[in-house]
Amino acid sequence: MLFNSIDFALFLPLVFVLYWFVTNHKLNIQNFLIVVASYVFYGWWDWRFLSLILFSTLVDYFIGLGLEKEKHQPRRLLLLWTSISVNLGFLGFFKYYNFFLDNFVTAFSFFGQEIQANSLNIILPVGISFYTFQTLSYTIDVYKRKLEPTRNIIAFAAFVSFFPQLVAGPIERATHLLPQFYTKRKFDYAKAVDGMRQILWGLFKKIVIADNCAEFANQIFNNSDHLDGSTLVLGALFFTFQIYGDFSGYSDIAIGTSRLFGFDLMQNFNFPYFARDIAEFWRRWHISLSTWFRDYLYIPLGGSRGGTGMKVRNTFIIFIVSGFWHGANWTFIVWGALNALYFLPLLLTERNRNNLESIAKGQIFPSFKELGKIIFTFLLTLLAWIFFRAENIGHAFSYLSEIFSSSLFTIPELNRMAYAAVILMLVAGFIVVEWLGREGQYAIAHIHHALNRPLRWLFYALIIFAIGMFMPSVESPFIYFQF
Amino acid sequence: MKKFIQNTLFFSVIAAILYLLFLFLWGRFAPGVLKPNINYFMGSYGHMFSRVSEAKQLEQKDILFLGSSHAYRGFDTRIFEEKGYSCFNLGSSAQTPIQTEILLKRYVDQIRPKCVIFEVYPPAFGSEGVESSLDLIANDVNDWNNVKMAFKIHNIKTYNTLVYGIIQDQMGEKKSFVEARIKEKDTYIPGGYVEKEVAHYQPSSLPEKKITFREDQLEALIEIVSLLKARKVQTILVYAPIPSVNYKRYVNTPYFDSTMSKFAPYYNFNQSLSLNDSLHFYDSHHLNQNGVEVFNQHMIEVLEEDGTLPLK
Repeated sequence: MLFNSIDFALFLPLVFVLYWFVTNHKLNIQNFLIVVASYVFYGWWDWRFLSLILFSTLVDYFIGLGLEKEKHQPRRLLLLWTSISVNLGFLGFFKYYNFFLDNFVTAFSFFGQEIQANSLNIILPVGISFYTFQTLSYTIDVYKRKLEPTRNIIAFAAFVSFFPQLVAGPIERATHLLPQFYTKRKFDYAKAVDGMRQILWGLFKKIVIADNCAEFANQIFNNSDHLDGSTLVLGALFFTFQIYGDFSGYSDIAIGTSRLFGFDLMQNFNFPYFARDIAEFWRRWHISLSTWFRDYLYIPLGGSRGGTGMKVRNTFIIFIVSGFWHGANWTFIVWGALNALYFLPLLLTERNRNNLESIAKGQIFPSFKELGKIIFTFLLTLLAWIFFRAENIGHAFSYLSEIFSSSLFTIPELNRMAYAAVILMLVAGFIVVEWLGREGQYAIAHIHHALNRPLRWLFYALIIFAIGMFMPSVESPFIYFQF
Repeated sequence: MKKFIQNTLFFSVIAAILYLLFLFLWGRFAPGVLKPNINYFMGSYGHMFSRVSEAKQLEQKDILFLGSSHAYRGFDTRIFEEKGYSCFNLGSSAQTPIQTEILLKRYVDQIRPKCVIFEVYPPAFGSEGVESSLDLIANDVNDWNNVKMAFKIHNIKTYNTLVYGIIQDQMGEKKSFVEARIKEKDTYIPGGYVEKEVAHYQPSSLPEKKITFREDQLEALIEIVSLLKARKVQTILVYAPIPSVNYKRYVNTPYFDSTMSKFAPYYNFNQSLSLNDSLHFYDSHHLNQNGVEVFNQHMIEVLEEDGTLPLK
């Protein structure tokens, strides 16, 4: 079920009413409703893959209990690796099987060995990368004794399958989300209103910004061989805002929806395109994944504690794995490696934690120096997104080589140019709103204090109208569903 | 909780009212490029406004033509009149069975045709019908049938345009509108036909395509056939000629033919009539006036031979 669909618009109020009016007297029943609703939400897409979620849930639930009982360290380690193998095994099969097979065959043919191997027609279960990492965080934390394992299987099933964030995050840590299923939720008016506001903003980002940018990004990337450098820059710019609007929009809807049910999810995006360097960008982009890799991969590898060699190695590992997490394609690996290259100079000169303060705090405008840094960082990420969006490495390089040619100085040409200009104006307006709201959890969070109720409602009504006026005719799935 | 529900409902009402207000103001004053989801154009391409205005004054006719632009540009009512058949052409741009059904419900009891010739073009059956719905909203009355059509099509552009159209209707905009008879190369001929200045098509190869059927379009076709059957009106389905380069691109035409022939007497004139892509067409799917004359004469002969046309 898509957040931006009529199905969800009917599903959400129904679950809301059942949750607060029918099942609110007993926590376990309320949690059970969440499990049922989540399975319906997921099964709407393909019910067959519910078995995967159920299996992961059962495996990790019992492994959690086993880890608590077991005192013998090697056996505890074996249990942990069983959980990791099962979860990453599913992920590896569904997401990476064909990639490894194809590369294996290519590698052998390079050495003159022909291998007959047929790739499989595998459907990637939606959200597998997200819920796999979430449930893994549980077993790892239980193993490290950071978390008591749960005996309540319904609460655990609700934690694994919680529908607002099941298919595209934020990837919650068990230590943060699971305890919320143990405590009775009380309806909080301010929290629910804030949730509604965040949902509205998320829908705007997804439908108005991302889906419209997608039209032009697709048009340009799919025909890049015939286009000038200037048009290709425009394509990269459209994709840069498409992916941000799409993914952060999804996160806003997920977080807002959770708040309607009394849950707090972690912030997943913190205005990343205002970052002043790449290290800051990565503290602000897909925070739940970056911190997951930091906690469960980077730190166990030694983090930045060792010598230069170890720092370089760990940085590359974390960025490349992060890239590979996005998809079974070399483009994602190169995208990750490129970000590692951007990041390394900051790490090695110990400037990676320079920009921890919020940007131009208390000011309306940034200083020229800050603006320069923001633009430079934005351009670096824009270049990296070309690898992320390209069909393959060759495509990315030919795209880049056309950008860095004399055709960069021509006038861009594309279908529906006037509408593209309108979308760019909308993006500009969107950037202004994001800038003004950059100190909040999301851009329009401060509206509650800044405007009185009539103006606030007028503002919301304008957002709804913009959605109705600029919504593309065809519903688009969220980009991150494919990851 | 009570406060939350009350405020949510109250906001929903306010937001709906403001939406209507913004829609009206935006539709009225914003330039076209800023309103991608309002496409309200009275007197749009295809002379639907003139056709509908004429239809409202009509009395009984022998033949009623329906279908897409291939109908109003392909069935020249003057040729049929010459042969002694009174007729009217109620085709409209990109008309799909969903819109045909509405037009029939609106006008069939007034026109009381003995025979309906319904032009069936494969892409119409795979289309959502958005383009044609906009044409109908802007140029004909907006009644309950249009509301049902909007829900069936379920597209934001149709919803917005319908709401805007209803507001326009309430303000009496259509009453004062007069459509030009000649627009660029098109001339509206009383009787519903649109004659285009003769031009010639330069054929070029077209990529292969597969004909698909949407369930809602097939359901509408079933409804059309049963509606006419209930009124004892002869129904004829016609696949009008298109250039051979376009016709051959469809890889499953026999499937389309067999599906159509299940509903009513069906004629695929692409098989029985040989036309020249350059001489008889002005673009990749429309006959020019030379082509229309050849096609209409041939069609009358065939239908008369078969006895499917009504008695004069």
